[in-house]
Amino acid sequence: MFVVDDDPAVLKALTRLLQSQAYGVQAFSSPQDFLERHDPATPGCLVLDVTLPVISGLELQQKLAASGAERAIVFITGQGDIPTSVRAMKAGAVDFITKPFGDEQLFAAIRAAIEKDRAMRQARAERCSIERRLATLTSREREVLERVVAGQLNKVIAADLGTVEKTIKVHRGRVMQKMGAVSLAELVRIADRAGIKPAAEHSASG
Amino acid sequence: MSCGPESRRGRGETRAASTNWGGIILQDARTHPGSALSLSLSARDARAALLVAVAYYLGAKIGFAFTFQPHPISTLWPPNSLLLAALLLTPARSWWLLLLAAFPAHLAAELQSGVPVAMVLGWFVSNSSEALIGAACIRVLVAGPLRFDSFRDVSVFLIFGTFLAPLLSSFLDAALVILIGWGQGSYWQLVGLRFFSNVLAALILVPVILTWAATGFAGIRYAPLRRYVESGLLFLGLLTASILIFDWQAVDHSPRPALLYAPLPFLLWAAVRLGPVGTSASLLLMAVIVLWGTTHGQGPFLASSTEENARSVQLFLIVVSVPLLLLAAAVQERRKVKEALQVSEEHSAKAFRSSPDPMAIIRRSDSSIIDVNDRWESLFGYSRAQAVGRTTAELKVYADPKDRQTYHDLAAAQGYVRDFEVDLRDQPGRVHQAVVAAEIVEVGGVSCFIETIRDVSEQKRAEREAREQQKQITHLTRVAMLGELSGALAHELNQPLTAILSNAQAAQHYLEKGRIDPKELGEILGDIVAQDRRAGEVIHRLRALFKKGERQFQMLDANELVREVLELAHSDLITRNIEVVTQPSPQLPAILGDRVELQQVLLNLIVNACEAMSADDPKEHGLTIRTESTADDGVQLSVIDRGHGIPADTQEKLFEPFFTTKPQGLGLGLSISRSIIAAHRGRLWGTNNPDRGATFHIVLPVHAGGPS
Repeated sequence: MFVVDDDPAVLKALTRLLQSQAYGVQAFSSPQDFLERHDPATPGCLVLDVTLPVISGLELQQKLAASGAERAIVFITGQGDIPTSVRAMKAGAVDFITKPFGDEQLFAAIRAAIEKDRAMRQARAERCSIERRLATLTSREREVLERVVAGQLNKVIAADLGTVEKTIKVHRGRVMQKMGAVSLAELVRIADRAGIKPAAEHSASG
Repeated sequence: MSCGPESRRGRGETRAASTNWGGIILQDARTHPGSALSLSLSARDARAALLVAVAYYLGAKIGFAFTFQPHPISTLWPPNSLLLAALLLTPARSWWLLLLAAFPAHLAAELQSGVPVAMVLGWFVSNSSEALIGAACIRVLVAGPLRFDSFRDVSVFLIFGTFLAPLLSSFLDAALVILIGWGQGSYWQLVGLRFFSNVLAALILVPVILTWAATGFAGIRYAPLRRYVESGLLFLGLLTASILIFDWQAVDHSPRPALLYAPLPFLLWAAVRLGPVGTSASLLLMAVIVLWGTTHGQGPFLASSTEENARSVQLFLIVVSVPLLLLAAAVQERRKVKEALQVSEEHSAKAFRSSPDPMAIIRRSDSSIIDVNDRWESLFGYSRAQAVGRTTAELKVYADPKDRQTYHDLAAAQGYVRDFEVDLRDQPGRVHQAVVAAEIVEVGGVSCFIETIRDVSEQKRAEREAREQQKQITHLTRVAMLGELSGALAHELNQPLTAILSNAQAAQHYLEKGRIDPKELGEILGDIVAQDRRAGEVIHRLRALFKKGERQFQMLDANELVREVLELAHSDLITRNIEVVTQPSPQLPAILGDRVELQQVLLNLIVNACEAMSADDPKEHGLTIRTESTADDGVQLSVIDRGHGIPADTQEKLFEPFFTTKPQGLGLGLSISRSIIAAHRGRLWGTNNPDRGATFHIVLPVHAGGPS
């Protein structure tokens, strides 16, 4: 868990409070310090003050998103104005809580953030493995995958690609194997995760 | 004698005409001569020249009538004196014309009497020179026209006109007579004869002509009736006495010197009562009677020879004339001084009565009131009758009796009192705030104050109200500014509150779990106490700013002031993304001021600077606050921004009330700030930076010369 606040007293108190719940806490007194020292690979959420000199909390959020080191963020602020909170939430913040806040409010937000961070990390990992597997497909196999996912029959695919149904069956078997799918339904789900668009219905088949 | 009024006819006519328009026109005609007058100038000169010629001729004829043979010199020789009078009545630039006019008259008169031509010409030279010497000397030494109304002027006339001029010209005259061989007698005899003859003529004729010319007929016309009666009686008495003494002694030829004094009371009467005009006229009258009697074998001056007779007459008249002319002048001079004094006393009395301010005359010895004016009566509610004769202590005029002593001490120390602020009580007991000024004067030989009082109660009340309003506005603008900063100020409170809550709850969690290190707990409690104090300070500071208190001067450190204000503005500056650089001078003398008001001014300048930069590129944002000592014992605080600067046309208006460049601005911030700094005897002004943005400077005097 990471905490960024420019007020040393607040930073120290928050660290203490989170440690009392047995969270591992890393405290930073400025966004610059955080950017330099934190490890993006470490899971955990970020408790971030909005009002910070030089780089504001919202700017730090944008920087992290831009560098692909996105992380679940709980914003804390001393002056909660609505436009700022809306911007923060739109940019994917988990919560936006106004100082002073009770521990339950903070813990609830943190739990949600940790959950979200885990989910984000899992989704990211899954996407990575699918992409890795997709990369092993040949271009013909990819064409076949797109058409299979679109629900085309083997003979239609064969006609489309100008080959015989038997060859398509071989390709299809390879795709299933490479993508680690045991059923057509699973292949469709994986393709969906990987963002593969089903091929459009071919005009020649009609 | 006829020459005087005649030669002044030009001016006399102007006066006669002007009287139709009213008395003041007399002055009008002099100050605005007008083109008609200047055009007729040459005509007037010609008329004057003609008059001089006629008068000279007649004068010479009279002179011949008083000539006792065998000497060619007259007892009374009027032409020279007539010429002198004429010269004294005309500007010097016209003198040549008068001499030119007198010449043919001289020729006509002298040649008729069978005098040789050379002698005639010689006499003209000596006669003219006498008139010129006298006229020139008098013109130089007497400022303005000779009026015989001042002792000095008469003395000048006597010395130069009637003594020096005849004496000098007589040397010349007698020399010419001897040279040409006309008549008999030794040189000194001739000098003596001519000298006395001319002295007498000058004494008798010139004063009459000049005084009558100056007074004119207007002086007679406006005289009161009793003055006519008095003058009439006087001349009648003088005439009677003179005729009786000088023309009526045929019965008994033995001279009785005591009788010579018979006309004297009348002459003294004229000198004392009728002034130079009446005196000179009286002298002329008596001289004519004396000369008539003597030439007709009458009167007390009939001795063995005509020569001696003439000398006796001359000496008698000269001896009588000189002191009388001087006496008349002295009396006239004294009368004028007295009149002037009366006028000034009258003016003072009127000024005292009609003064728009209450005034009183108070005896210094016992503070008793000698006189008061109407305004004094209405201010204090005592009538003059009630006030006069009583003392200021009896009337309880001074609300604080000690002020009376202070007032007297001040007056004694410096001889006057100015701007003495004092509370005065009127009859019903109301207290008036007043400013008193007083002079020490002598009234009837008693030392008094003449004091002027100005009731400033209204003014003081208005000043108090204005001060109160100023205070209200100062407070309102401060509260309005704090309202604008409310978000940032809330943040300043939320920080310590957050820290306190989090610390306390952390401790709670540790306790619940039963695993707490007492050392850790101590640290937590220490932090809670520190953060509570921090919150308390913020509230304390805010309460001071929100409070509407009296101005309290205390010794302040300008650097600390800057620090405090920046702490208040901290969150606002962060929200606006403005980085602040402070450049405090380490060795700064203390200033004397009101902490809250100076904080207000600094905060106002900082907020203004932030707003000047809000629309600009955030990368250019930056605020510098600098403190330094100035050369002239002051401390300067500068707030330097990098905003859009002060537009050129608003540099002067910036400090005017209700001038604003912000959509939501009241336009009071800077005007109030400037009045606050002025109350601290400091200066506040703004300038544009050479590169970018503006700087506002505050200069405050250091403690040693602080405001009282």
